[in-house]
Amino acid sequence: MDVTRAATASGSARWHPLAGLANALNARMARWMRRRQGSDRLPVTLERRRLYILPTRAGLAFTALLFLMLLAGLNYANSLALFLTFLLTGFALVVMQQCHRNLLGTEVVAAIAPAVFARSTGALQLTLGNSDDIQRMRLEARLPQGALVRADLAAHTQQRLELPLAAPRRGLVRIERWRLSTAHPFGLFRAWTWVHTEITMLVYPHPHGNLPMPVDSARNAGVRAHAGAGADEWAGLRPFRDGDSPRQVDWKAYAREAPLLVKEYVQAASELRIFDYAQLGALDQETRLSQLARWVVDAEAHGERYGLTLPGAQIAPDRGPEHRHRCLAALALFALERGQP
Amino acid sequence: MAEVATPAAAGASLRPLVWTCAVFAGGVLLHADRVPSWAAAVAVLLIVWRLLTAYRGGGYPGVAARALLALTLVVIVLLRFHTLNGLAAGTTLLLLMAGLKLLETRAARDQFVMVAAALFLLLAACLDRQELVRAPLYGLQAWLCCGALAVIAAPATSARAALALAGRGLLLAVPLALLLFVFFPRLPGAFWAIPRSDLALSGLSDTMTPGSIGLLATSYEPAFRVQFDGPAPPPQERYWRGPVLHEFDGQTWRRIPADLRAHRPREHLGTAYHYRVQLEASHQRWWFALDTPTQAPDARVLLTADDVLIGAEPLADPVSFDQISYTHTRSSQPLDAAARRQDTALPPSGNPRAHALAASLRERAGSDAALVEAVLDYLRSGGFVYSLEPERLGSDAIDDFLFRTRVGFCGHYASAFVVLMRAAGIPARVVTGYLGGEWIPYGSYFLVRQSEAHAWAEVWLEGRGWARVDPTAVVAPERLERGILDLIPQDLPARARLLHASPWLNELLQRWDAANAWWTNHVVSFDFETQLNLLERLGIRSPDARSLGWAFMLALCLWLAVIAWHVGRSIRPARPDPLSRAYARLCRKLARIVPRAPHEGPLAFGAALIAKRPEVRTSVLPLLERYAELRYGCPSPGTRALDIEQFRRAVARLSL
Repeated sequence: MDVTRAATASGSARWHPLAGLANALNARMARWMRRRQGSDRLPVTLERRRLYILPTRAGLAFTALLFLMLLAGLNYANSLALFLTFLLTGFALVVMQQCHRNLLGTEVVAAIAPAVFARSTGALQLTLGNSDDIQRMRLEARLPQGALVRADLAAHTQQRLELPLAAPRRGLVRIERWRLSTAHPFGLFRAWTWVHTEITMLVYPHPHGNLPMPVDSARNAGVRAHAGAGADEWAGLRPFRDGDSPRQVDWKAYAREAPLLVKEYVQAASELRIFDYAQLGALDQETRLSQLARWVVDAEAHGERYGLTLPGAQIAPDRGPEHRHRCLAALALFALERGQP
Repeated sequence: MAEVATPAAAGASLRPLVWTCAVFAGGVLLHADRVPSWAAAVAVLLIVWRLLTAYRGGGYPGVAARALLALTLVVIVLLRFHTLNGLAAGTTLLLLMAGLKLLETRAARDQFVMVAAALFLLLAACLDRQELVRAPLYGLQAWLCCGALAVIAAPATSARAALALAGRGLLLAVPLALLLFVFFPRLPGAFWAIPRSDLALSGLSDTMTPGSIGLLATSYEPAFRVQFDGPAPPPQERYWRGPVLHEFDGQTWRRIPADLRAHRPREHLGTAYHYRVQLEASHQRWWFALDTPTQAPDARVLLTADDVLIGAEPLADPVSFDQISYTHTRSSQPLDAAARRQDTALPPSGNPRAHALAASLRERAGSDAALVEAVLDYLRSGGFVYSLEPERLGSDAIDDFLFRTRVGFCGHYASAFVVLMRAAGIPARVVTGYLGGEWIPYGSYFLVRQSEAHAWAEVWLEGRGWARVDPTAVVAPERLERGILDLIPQDLPARARLLHASPWLNELLQRWDAANAWWTNHVVSFDFETQLNLLERLGIRSPDARSLGWAFMLALCLWLAVIAWHVGRSIRPARPDPLSRAYARLCRKLARIVPRAPHEGPLAFGAALIAKRPEVRTSVLPLLERYAELRYGCPSPGTRALDIEQFRRAVARLSL
C-alpha cells in the first residue's frame, strides 16, 4: 500500500468580485448535497446517485469551439467540416462517460485523522480501494480548505492518501466533508463526489515547558531508597512517535539508515508521578496545559507511571500508549466548549 | 504511482509542449501549399525556436517585442491580401498568431489554446479542400489533437497511451458522427459569406493563345465526370463545351462579356442526351456540358447565347447538375448584323498570306459549306502535323503556322481555321472545352481529365445555323477516338507515360477515381437537398423538424447507452487465480469458527482462530502457513503449479 502525502496546494487566493456570491452558493450547495446524500458510513462504494459531473473550463472552451465549427460547417454546407464537428462532439460525450466511469465504483475504505500535537501538521488519512478491472487514473482528494492530493489506483488495489491538515491550536479539528474528483482522461469534464464523514482530529496541547517533573514524594520515598537515582534499565527500541523528545532518539541507528527509533528505558523501580494542574498556579491556562503535556510525554517515554489531576477530573496513575492518549486528550479538551478554546 | 500536486511537477515535463508543437506543426503542414511560403516558414521557425528554448533554456521575447511582432505580421498579411476577411487571409493570420502564442505557451491553459488553434486550422483545411486523398490526413490530425489533450491533462501520459485513449474515444464517436452527419438539419443557403479562395487551379481560362491548351495536356487531374441516363453519344460527338471565344487580336482569342442576347429560335436534331455532370472544384465559373445544353441547371447559372453555362461564382466546392443536350441543331433564321460583325472581325493588319489563301479558296468554292470543306482539305493534304510541342510562332502567327511550321496542337488548328473562315467572310468562333472522356467501369461514368482539353471551331452556315467543325480531326482523326495520351505519348512526361503504359496501374487509377467520384457525390455534396431526398427514401414522408428531432433523440439515447455499456464493460470482476480461489474456499470453511476480518493476513487469522478454538491448531494452521508461503514466499517456478494444486486438494479435504 502506497502512502501519498500532499503538499499544501498553493490556493489561488486572489480576490474576486464574485467571491462572496460564489461562497454563499457553495455553502448552499453543500447543505443541499448533505441533505440529499445523508452522512456516510465507511466503507462506501461510490454509486451513480452521488456522482456529479460538469465540463471543466477547458470543456466549456471546447464546447464553444465545437459551436463555432458547427456554424462554419453549416454556413458553407461543408461536409467534412460538419463531420469533424460531429466527430469531436461524439468524442466529448465519450470523454464524459469515461470520466464518470473513472470515479464510479471507487471504494472509500477508511478515512481517519490521528491525533497530533498543536503547532504541527496532521493528516486526513484516506484509504481508497479499487476492486474493478480498470485502472483509475488521477483521482484527486481535497478538503474544502484547499489541500489536494492526486493518485492513480491500479486494478484490484488499495491506496492510502494523506491530506495535510493544519493543527494550530489544541482541541478538535472537525472535517465534515471532503471531495473526491477526477478530470481524467482529457480534462474536459470533472466528475466529483462529496464524502460526508464525521471525522474529528484531536489536537493535543503543544508539549512545552521546562519545569522539573514533580515527584509524588509521599508514596515514592521508600521505593527510591533501594534504587539508585537514574538507574534506568534499557527496555528496548520502539518507533518514533510525535512528541518524543529528540534526546531519546537512537541517532546512531538512524545514521545506519535504520528508521527513526526511540530508546526506551524502564526505571528499575518505576516512579509514580502525579501531574497536578493546580500546582502550576503561577502560569496561565494554556502554558500550564503545555507543561502538563510535556511531562506526560516525557514520563511515558521514561516508562514511568503517572497520573493527572485536572480541576473536575482525575486520571489514576498508569502507563502505556492508551493511558498517554487518555491524559493528552483530557488536556486537549480541557475547558473547551464544542472543541474550541 | 501517486503524484504530488505541486506546481513544479506540472511544469517539469516537456511532453505537453512537444505535443502542442506537434499538433500545431500538423496544422501548418495542412496549409503549407496554400498559405504564402514565408508565412509557413515563419510558423516553422517559431516552433523550432520554442522547442530550442524549452530544451536548452534561453530568453523569450518580452511582451513589447511580441506585440510589435504581432502587429508587423498583421500589417504584412494586410498588405499581401488587402483584407483579413477571407479564408486564405484568415488562415495565414491564424497560423502566424498561433505561432506567436506558442512563444508564450507555458501553462496547461496556453497549451489547450494551441490545440484549439490546431483544430481551427484543421477546420480551415476542411473548408478549403475536401478531396478524398486528404481525408485520412484530416483524421490523423484530429487524432493527434485529441491525443495532445490527453497529454496536456496528464503530462505523465506516454505517447502510446495518449494515442490509444484518443483513438478509442474517436472510434466510439464515429457512430454518433455518422448519425449527426445524416440527420443534423442542414441550411439551404449560407447566412454569412466569406470569400473562399482567390486561387485558380489548372483548367480552361477565358483566353486562348494557340499553345495554351497544350499546357493542360499533361495534367492528369479530373475536370468533371459524366453519367449518362440512357445511351452515351458516340466518341466523335463527345464535345464538352466550355468558354466560346470571339475576339482575336492576332495572337490571343478572348471571350466577350457574357452574351445575354435572347436565344435564336432553333431546332434540336438527333438524340436528346440526359446526363448528370459532377464538376470538380475548379475555382472557375464554367459549368461544362455536352455540346448544346438546353437549360440552365441552376438559378446561379446563366445559359448564354453562345450556349455556354456560366456560374455566378467560381466553383469553390464540387457541384453536380442534371442536363439535357443535343449534339446537332438547325436554325433557319439569318444571323443578326451585330453578331455577324463580331464573328467576322479580324485585326486590321497582319497575316496577309492567310487572307490571300482564304480569298483564293473562296473564289473556287461554290458555297459556304464547300469552302469549309476546301479549308479542311487544305489542312488534310498540306502536310500538317499534330504535336504537343510546336515551334514558337512569329508576329504573323497564323501565316507562320500555315505556311512555315505546319506543326501544331488543337488550338493552332482551331485558331487558323476560324481566321481563314472570317477572312472569307463566314462568321466563325473558337470553342474551348474538352473532347472525349475515359469510361470508368467501376462507377459507370465518363471521366474527363484536364488532359482532354480541346479547342474546335463553329461556323455559321445559312440555313443551318452554327455548325461544329473540328479542324484537328482532319489532321489527327484518331484524336476523336482516343485520348491525348494515346496519341502522342512521346511528347508527355515520363510519369504520365508510365501511368498510361501499365494496364495494372491504369486500372488502379480508374478504381481510385471511382472512389473519388463516390466520395464527391455522397459525402462532399451531401447538402440540404440530398438530406431531404434521403429522409424521404427512409420513409419519412414529409420530413419536418419534429419527426427528425424525435428520431435523432432516440438514436442519440441508443448511442449513449451503447457507449456507457462499452465504457463500463471492463468492470466484470476478474476471475481470481487458483491460489486465491482455494484460499477463499478455506476462509469460507473457517468462517464458521470465526470470520476473517478484511485486514487480517493468513497468520493473524490463524492466531484469531486458535484463540477461539485451540484444537484446530494442528489441522488449520499448517494450511494457513502454507498459503502464506505460496503467496508471499519465494516459489520455485517449476513446482509452483503442483504446489497450488496440492494446497487446493488439502483445502478440499479439510473438514471441521
